[in-house]
Amino acid sequence: MNDGVVFLNQNLFWPVIIVGLVLMAVFVWKEWSQRKERRFYVKLIASFLAIVSLCMIILKPSTYQDSMRGKGIVLTDGYRSSQLDSLKSIYKRIKTEEYTKGRTLFLLTEVDSIFLLGHGMEPFDFWQVEHKSVAFLGGDANQGGQDISNKSELILGEPLELSATYANPVAGNWAVLADNGGNPLDSIPLEETESQLIQLSAEPKASGQFVYHLMEQDQDGQVVSNEPIPIQVKEGRPLKILMVNTFPTFETKYLKNFLTEKGHEVLARTQLTKGKYKFEYFNGASGTIYGFTSENLKDYDLLIIDTDSYTGLGRTSKEAMEEISASEGLGIFIQADEGLFRLSESQSPFRFNKDYVTEIALGQPMQTLPKYPYAFQENLRTQEILLDYVTVASYIPVQKGKVGTTLLQNTYQLLLDGQEALYTRIWTKILNNITRKQETVLEWKSLTQIPRLDEPFEFELQTLLTDVEITTEEGARIPLLQDILIPGKFTGTVYPRKTGWNQLQVANDSISPWFYFVYDDGQLQNIHQTQLRNANYQKFGSSSTFDDSKSVSKKELQTITPIWLYFILLLSLGWLWLEPKLSS
Amino acid sequence: MGAASIERFQKRWQQSKYMEALLYVIGFGGFVYLLTHNLFYGIIGFMVSAGIALFVLKPWSISSKNAVGYIDAHLPQAGFSSGLLLSPSNELSDLSKLQQFRVASQLEPVLSRLKPPHNIFKATLVMFGLILLGLAGGFILTRYGGSPGGNSSTKKQITFAPKDSLSSATKIPELIKTTITVQYPNYTRKSILNTTDPNIKAVQGSNLIWNLEFDGNVQAVRMDLMGERIDFTKRDASYQLTKNLEASGFYSFTFKDANGNDYVSDLYSLEMVKDEPPLVQIEGLDSYSYFEFDDDKRLMLNANISDDFGIDDAYIIATVSKGSGESVKFREETIRFKGSVPKGNKQMNLRQPLDLDALKMDPGDELYFYVEALDQKTPLPNVARSETYFAVIRDTVTDMFAVEGNLGVDLMPDYFRSQRQLIIDTEKLIAEKPNISEKDFKFRSNELGFDQKQLRLKYGQFMGDETEMQAAAGAVSHEQGEADHGSEEGEADLLDEYSHKHDSDNEHNLVEEHGHENEETEEEEDPLHDYLHNHSDPEESTLFEKSLKAKLRDALNIMWDAELHLRLYEPEKSLPFQYDALAIIQEIKNSARIYVHRIGFDPPPIKEENRLSGDVENITNYDKRQEFEYQKSFASTRQAISRLETLIQEKKIFDANDSALFVDAGNELAQKAISQPLKYIKILQGLRDLEKAVNRSKENYMEVQKGLLSVLPPLEDIPMKKTKYDSEINLLYLKELGVYE
Repeated sequence: MNDGVVFLNQNLFWPVIIVGLVLMAVFVWKEWSQRKERRFYVKLIASFLAIVSLCMIILKPSTYQDSMRGKGIVLTDGYRSSQLDSLKSIYKRIKTEEYTKGRTLFLLTEVDSIFLLGHGMEPFDFWQVEHKSVAFLGGDANQGGQDISNKSELILGEPLELSATYANPVAGNWAVLADNGGNPLDSIPLEETESQLIQLSAEPKASGQFVYHLMEQDQDGQVVSNEPIPIQVKEGRPLKILMVNTFPTFETKYLKNFLTEKGHEVLARTQLTKGKYKFEYFNGASGTIYGFTSENLKDYDLLIIDTDSYTGLGRTSKEAMEEISASEGLGIFIQADEGLFRLSESQSPFRFNKDYVTEIALGQPMQTLPKYPYAFQENLRTQEILLDYVTVASYIPVQKGKVGTTLLQNTYQLLLDGQEALYTRIWTKILNNITRKQETVLEWKSLTQIPRLDEPFEFELQTLLTDVEITTEEGARIPLLQDILIPGKFTGTVYPRKTGWNQLQVANDSISPWFYFVYDDGQLQNIHQTQLRNANYQKFGSSSTFDDSKSVSKKELQTITPIWLYFILLLSLGWLWLEPKLSS
Repeated sequence: MGAASIERFQKRWQQSKYMEALLYVIGFGGFVYLLTHNLFYGIIGFMVSAGIALFVLKPWSISSKNAVGYIDAHLPQAGFSSGLLLSPSNELSDLSKLQQFRVASQLEPVLSRLKPPHNIFKATLVMFGLILLGLAGGFILTRYGGSPGGNSSTKKQITFAPKDSLSSATKIPELIKTTITVQYPNYTRKSILNTTDPNIKAVQGSNLIWNLEFDGNVQAVRMDLMGERIDFTKRDASYQLTKNLEASGFYSFTFKDANGNDYVSDLYSLEMVKDEPPLVQIEGLDSYSYFEFDDDKRLMLNANISDDFGIDDAYIIATVSKGSGESVKFREETIRFKGSVPKGNKQMNLRQPLDLDALKMDPGDELYFYVEALDQKTPLPNVARSETYFAVIRDTVTDMFAVEGNLGVDLMPDYFRSQRQLIIDTEKLIAEKPNISEKDFKFRSNELGFDQKQLRLKYGQFMGDETEMQAAAGAVSHEQGEADHGSEEGEADLLDEYSHKHDSDNEHNLVEEHGHENEETEEEEDPLHDYLHNHSDPEESTLFEKSLKAKLRDALNIMWDAELHLRLYEPEKSLPFQYDALAIIQEIKNSARIYVHRIGFDPPPIKEENRLSGDVENITNYDKRQEFEYQKSFASTRQAISRLETLIQEKKIFDANDSALFVDAGNELAQKAISQPLKYIKILQGLRDLEKAVNRSKENYMEVQKGLLSVLPPLEDIPMKKTKYDSEINLLYLKELGVYE
């Protein structure tokens, strides 16, 4: 369809032609009496021309033409005025328009090449410039926090660890992490560099949805910036633990006391003699376990077993244990003794190197603890558990489950020395890493990093459920788009109605709702702008010139100016009106 | 007549002066009163200014002369002769009389109209000026000066607010009168304090009485003291509660009105001040003082004692230690200060010289002393003591102890062994009898007899019936007559010498040495008593002691015979007795050994046939079941923080559950608040305020939440189950990871 004429009102083609023919026929019939005269033919031509031009006016014929409509400037937030001035001095009388998110740019109808100044357009407005040639010139990176990352969902007792990047920080200022009430929890001084990565941590004291704050304060304590850090703290659940021992040790006894006093359900089995055991049931544990089967291990979150019991396991017991660990995620913690370090590869998954170090220093103030003179052999699968940058234990993931052990010896000594805090810290760290995680059927993830009021908020949902129906707080249903490759993965879009915590819930299930935080327009500006710049660079590239091929090859339909048609119509109708007067 | 009118004028003048003074005085008194709002100060100001005004104005000094002078100066009619009116007419010349008459008649009408000089108008102005100034000053002081007058008293009264919002039609019962009476313990000698300020600070043991009077019908007036609810008793129209102050805390009041609406007051603090123990300081003394044997062994003790309410008593505790090692002996003595210690003084300075000689200290002995002071607290006084000071008399000679084989301590002095020695000497004497002169023989025999007596006496001391034996000895020597006189003398000397020697030995803790008689009584039972008579072991203190005494009594009787024969110069006859005595003494020595029982575990006998059979059939599984109630620290407080957050986010409205939760949280924190009331009172008050409907605003919630967060300790570490979603992709990845391992 290169050079042909196209009618814009193609759909009216036939009616117009028919009406035109009818009009022509009526005219011929009306003038039929004059058919012998020469003026009849002249009139016929004139009326034909009039009718044709009339039809054309309605049908609007148009042709493809190369569009060459010139350049424009779109100004977004944070543009440099010097840049604008220099552009204006090169392109005299260039059109400019300020961009407001969500509003259509009028300028775009008139120009086909635009300079985009400032931090850029919102990604959801990119469609407006889809066919234009855009030179994104960018804006300056602002001073202050450029990026904040933290876990938004925590278990009570887990520390909130936050890292942020500050661009051109002001030396002497402080970055302060404050809780929802405004009490400072952690702080770090800013230094004079181009970009500083800061890490802050704090431990939430209560569960619920809170908005912590990352503040920048100057030397006088004045708050320079204050960004919200929404976090959700959930209560953890107690564990179900099975402890198996061939003989009682102090280590086991104190560990057992620690766990049971914290409300965990513990079943401890200690061998008395061949085939006879002492069973201890704490906090509602029940049942007796002799050999392991997938049935009796299934419900446990953690198995604490000493080396002798571990090596002494029967084939079926061991297989059952490993199977449950792999498929259900049972954590296995092996209490080490000298025997463990001599086991062959088939007997134990751990490999050790002798390091002849028998002490390890931990905690604040430093506390030395005895350890076995071995070190874990590093390999791909072995994951180390660090405490104060010191390896205290290690685990190997086996599908869902984990097998772990520690090299520490006689940690109960800490309790006797009154170092209870260190003892609980060590064991909490180790066991938290190894123990089974509660599986959820649904996982939410927000794709939009900074949700804002009345802007699209995209989220991702992964679920094992086959039929989920998502509603907002107000009860509006949200349609989900299923992923092509992964059947359990969906995406959806919501337009939040209020700032602060919003929630999405599964309408046909009693799963607890998912909360996401919607920011005010003023919040997280810096981060937002950084993200905008990145998105715009990605979209438009970083070159400051236009893509020529795009602008030249671009053709547009252009209506033939109807003025000529009106002229012909006027002349024809004028002749038809004038001719009887002249002849008479 | 004329004189009388001048007198009247003089009186008028004086009156106007008094009037002027009075105006000034009223003005100044009013000024002081208005400024201080205290009638007492007002009156004082009045009196002082009255004195000053009268002194300055001197109204009484207006004499008739002054009056005459004034009249002459101001009334032309007087013709400078008004003075004549005062003079009796009979003393005047005729001309003067004429003039007197003339002046009198002319003055008569005008004099009553003449005004004496006065500043009453000015004084009135000054008075009003001062009163206005006083009003303004008083106003400014109460407004801005923050004077603890009426302004703050309204604030510190108990105020109640309804727990729930009420319709305005309901009449709120008002607290019309509050009296809080603090009765301090008697010994503090503080007067009873009546106050309306519910924040109470008082000494431990004070009696507190709250008396609340309400306008309107109220029920169930209670005090909520750290979660404990105490009912008020109704007495006439008021409600009363008496409580003994035993611990610091926080309290509030609650009551119900006739319609059953709850009211709650603010939170008030109850602070217990402990009666501090006295502070004792000894001044001007080194902690260690050393003396040589021949120094003047005196110390001047200068003690400064102070207490917050009053000192009841103070004295010096001195401990003398003698000897060293295992034979160290302590003797404690209480030394009173010279003169009685005045009771009830808050501060006193006491002096007391310490004479080491008076304490019977010998070289090598050490003295430890400190001052102990008691205050008047009841029922148990606080006791405080100073640091301990030391005084040592240097010893140039050190005694060493030999340790005997059968006893850990060298219990028996040298002369104990001499029974054997006596036997040896007696046998030697018998053997040498043919070769020596009779006199020599007799002398030696008598000497041996004396030694035997010494030995007997010494054993007698152990027996504790010294005096009896002493008397017996005396009788014997008396019986023996003059022949032994020298010996008797020698005996006395020897005894003397012996006892001195004994004293300088550090074996005995005796310091007193008044004389031989005294010595004997004091030494009663002493050595054995200390070493052997062990009261802590009932077996030893009864049976052992008795048999020992009986044996010793036998030995003494036998020695008596042995001595008798020696004195009779019959050593051969004496020898068997001596052997008997030796045997018994040996027995006693052996019985003086201390045995310690072996304590051990006696296992039950094992049946031979069951041993090592490997049969475990009778062993069964052992089951144990135990439940622990784990509660996070400050669980309610943590929950309260979450609840406050939902309230702040306006996701729910305040209801009864919240109220209960906040009360729980408050009680949890109150436990902690006792130690640091300042830090917590505001938060507790905030929590308590949420009870009241008016305070349930978002700002208050945030304020309270912030406070709670700031004081909560971090959560202890507990392993917890976390949640996780395992997507298929993840699982596939983990599976593959395992395969390639």
